[in-house]
Amino acid sequence: MLAKLYLQFLKFGSFTFGGGWSIVAQMKELYVDTEHSMTDEELLDITSIGRSLPGTMIGNIAMFYGHRIAGFWGGVACMFGMITVPMIILLLITSFYTAFQNNLWVASAMRGVRAAVAPVILSALMGMVKSAFKLPPCIAVGIAMFALYYFLRVSPIMLVVIGAVLGLIICEYYERRPAKDAAA
Amino acid sequence: MLLLELFWSFVKIGFTSFGGLSMIPLISSEMISHGWMNAHEVSDIVAIAEMTPGPLGLNCATFAGMRAAGIFGAFIANMGALAPTFTLCAVAAVFFDHFRDNKRLGQVMTGVRPACVGMVAGVVIDLAAANYIDAGGGVNVPSAVLGVVDLVLLLRFKVSIPKVLLLSAVVGIILFGVMGL
Repeated sequence: MLAKLYLQFLKFGSFTFGGGWSIVAQMKELYVDTEHSMTDEELLDITSIGRSLPGTMIGNIAMFYGHRIAGFWGGVACMFGMITVPMIILLLITSFYTAFQNNLWVASAMRGVRAAVAPVILSALMGMVKSAFKLPPCIAVGIAMFALYYFLRVSPIMLVVIGAVLGLIICEYYERRPAKDAAA
Repeated sequence: MLLLELFWSFVKIGFTSFGGLSMIPLISSEMISHGWMNAHEVSDIVAIAEMTPGPLGLNCATFAGMRAAGIFGAFIANMGALAPTFTLCAVAAVFFDHFRDNKRLGQVMTGVRPACVGMVAGVVIDLAAANYIDAGGGVNVPSAVLGVVDLVLLLRFKVSIPKVLLLSAVVGIILFGVMGL
């Protein structure tokens, strides 16, 4: 059972490029559409909770799925299955990168790639903006955290904690406000 | 000692990251402050992670871990980055039904998401400064122009990220290798 889970996730893990959504798509294909061992809703629940817990989204999804089938060790089997292939590929690339970092052609290619990194992150950031700024005060949180990070170099850990606390305050405020209005 | 530092760095990165890009600010500050990578190498790993399978955080862990302490270092760093999965997520799996309807989790994310957007915006400026400005302080024109072209391709023409990175590598070879700019 554990071996089967490991191998299934080994396959999922080999075909993910940039982001975890391709894993979710592959899980849907196998478990929802082919095996019918899971419904769309169950997969959606696992995905949305896996995404909002800290850590790597697909690691969390693998843990949830494996746990459902075979307990904690099932989760561990899925997680290791998923990271095996990407880790081997990246170990090879890292060795290559370290060995050829100063080669003219590799260095030139990397200079080109570096020029693309800020635009790549910026374009992905645009995709995050919509879901991040649901309530007006969230915009102020974003600007304040930017200033604290960029100008005052406050640690990202501190900023995530501050963000979490502000999130609780903002949501509680919005939930209580209509009640007050009604009373007045 | 090095292994322990590496593990602890990635535990911190794991616990304060919420998907994809949100790890970059902490990865960048941890890697640079420990001297495991410089700003150029942080850019390189973001690009490499985008072009290879696997999530960004784990790819960074493998890259940084291997450069700092070999293959075993890579493994240790991965385990650190996965620490929230082993602990928090394993607990959440047991109480899955409670977690599914938990209102607090959504409230926390309401504040964490904009905080991540703010920090990632800061990292974009840091990486842009490292990659478009030469050691002497002047703007590197070929790199800056390539960056603007890439941004237009991504936002206006919706070209996929791996394609843009590959194209930039080819342009880099031509501009900096063949033409010697």
